[in-house]
Amino acid sequence: MFDRFDIFFVQQLVNGFSVGLVYALVAIGFTLIFGVLNVVNFAHGEIYMIGAYAGLMALIFLAPPWVALLLIVLAAGIVAGVLLERAAFKPFRRFRDEASLKSKAMRESTLLSSLAVSIIVREATEKIFGADMRPIPRAYANALQEPILIGELAVASGQLVILGAAIVMFLTLQFILFRTQIGLSIRAVAANPLGAQYVGVNVDRTVIATFAIGSGMGAVAGILIGLYQGTIFPAMGFAPGVKAFVAMVMGGLNSIPGAVICAIFLGVSEAVATEFFAQGWADLVAYLFLVLTLIFFPTGLFGAGRERV
Amino acid sequence: MSAVLEVRDLAVRMGAQTILHGISLDVPAGGIVTVLGSNGVGKTTLMRALSGVYRATSGTIRLLGEDITALPSHAIVRRGLAQAPEGRQIFGAMTVAENLRLGAIGEADQALLERILTLFPILRERYRQRAGSLSGGEQQMLCVGRAMMARPKLLLMDEPSLGLAPKLVKQIFDLVATIRADGTPVLLVEQNARAALRVADHAYVMDGGRIVLEGPARELAEDERVKAAYLGGHAHA
Repeated sequence: MFDRFDIFFVQQLVNGFSVGLVYALVAIGFTLIFGVLNVVNFAHGEIYMIGAYAGLMALIFLAPPWVALLLIVLAAGIVAGVLLERAAFKPFRRFRDEASLKSKAMRESTLLSSLAVSIIVREATEKIFGADMRPIPRAYANALQEPILIGELAVASGQLVILGAAIVMFLTLQFILFRTQIGLSIRAVAANPLGAQYVGVNVDRTVIATFAIGSGMGAVAGILIGLYQGTIFPAMGFAPGVKAFVAMVMGGLNSIPGAVICAIFLGVSEAVATEFFAQGWADLVAYLFLVLTLIFFPTGLFGAGRERV
Repeated sequence: MSAVLEVRDLAVRMGAQTILHGISLDVPAGGIVTVLGSNGVGKTTLMRALSGVYRATSGTIRLLGEDITALPSHAIVRRGLAQAPEGRQIFGAMTVAENLRLGAIGEADQALLERILTLFPILRERYRQRAGSLSGGEQQMLCVGRAMMARPKLLLMDEPSLGLAPKLVKQIFDLVATIRADGTPVLLVEQNARAALRVADHAYVMDGGRIVLEGPARELAEDERVKAAYLGGHAHA
């Protein structure tokens, strides 16, 4: 084992860490939406894909500076998330009985409606842009492959961009959730939707805000990975969607820090696995973790039991 | 007398089942009104309908003269009707401070917060703790404090004494009187009829989704039917 602990191994850890950060950005959206509505949003991977395509279009037609590019993608993600909520979730939220927000029927309906939206969006994207991989314009892709040497270790400039963007978004999210009125509302609805109604929280607006925030982050994750890997394609949202879902389950379903830690752990584990197995087998790691979590930690590694007062 | 709350012929149906069959009641300015009745007669349904959590099938609810029947729950709270609901419905994963903050409409009123923390010293003591870690009685205090943070023009309390030790029950009813003395009328739903009748001015008795009896609290406390059914004893017991 230890002979493998050389510089290439450390390099893999760094690579895995940056992929893990991207999973984490996707997982946060999943976890936020699950926390507030208790439903899994199957179209979340498509938001990620939309982010990548919105970014590509912006690069081709506007060639904006980096920060502006990320803001454009963020905006596209927010719009897509709000539209998704209106199309796939809102129609099933008209019941006002006790279990209105978290009823089983609602959960199963939106499972299918979000899946339907995801298929429509993916197929429409294929129709418009073609199913093939599309390269990111060279000038941009190259800028993110610039190696930066830290001792013997080579870090791609793109990895630093991912790290920087992820840190900014994590901090912004924490600020929103803990220091703003809308963040307080989001946490209140997640903790107790009925209680939230009694204190005058506008539940509908809170749900939209949750989709906006989660989708904005997911979309930025999409363009980050697109830039870093140099190509984007209509089905690109599937794999990170699965990984983020696994991270959410491992993290205990409604713990954002748990999901982030598990997502990074997952990214690193996959990178390490490629040291020992072929690339194709590395995808198995996520499923293996999912099965192990469900068998041995049914409430997740960080799930302190569900808070449902 | 001008009524803060006027309910007329309020009906609530859930699926095929009619739970409230035309309830009418008034809460006058500065008054304490209580709704009595055993389990399952529709008291909590009534309270939820008043807060807009359930929709009225027919009838009207007026708050300070304004028709609020069709308003969503958040708009009703904003109009000045706050509730300390059944089961407390606090936010267990959040701190006491955050729970109180959520109760406020817009910016939290610091003077009011100070008044509430003085009224409930235990909340000041546990201000930074998770609300879920409080005892049942403390959670009830938090629930009432949270509702008061909205500066309500009418406070609804649904079974505030449920599951509390006798000493705390007395504290809760003293609190109801204090809230009224501060100028906020209270509509109180209770199973503890004896204590409720002692603190209230006017009382309604519900059965099977209807108001079956009403009158000044003092008279109802002497009413043979009320004594037999709700005060756990006979006329001369």
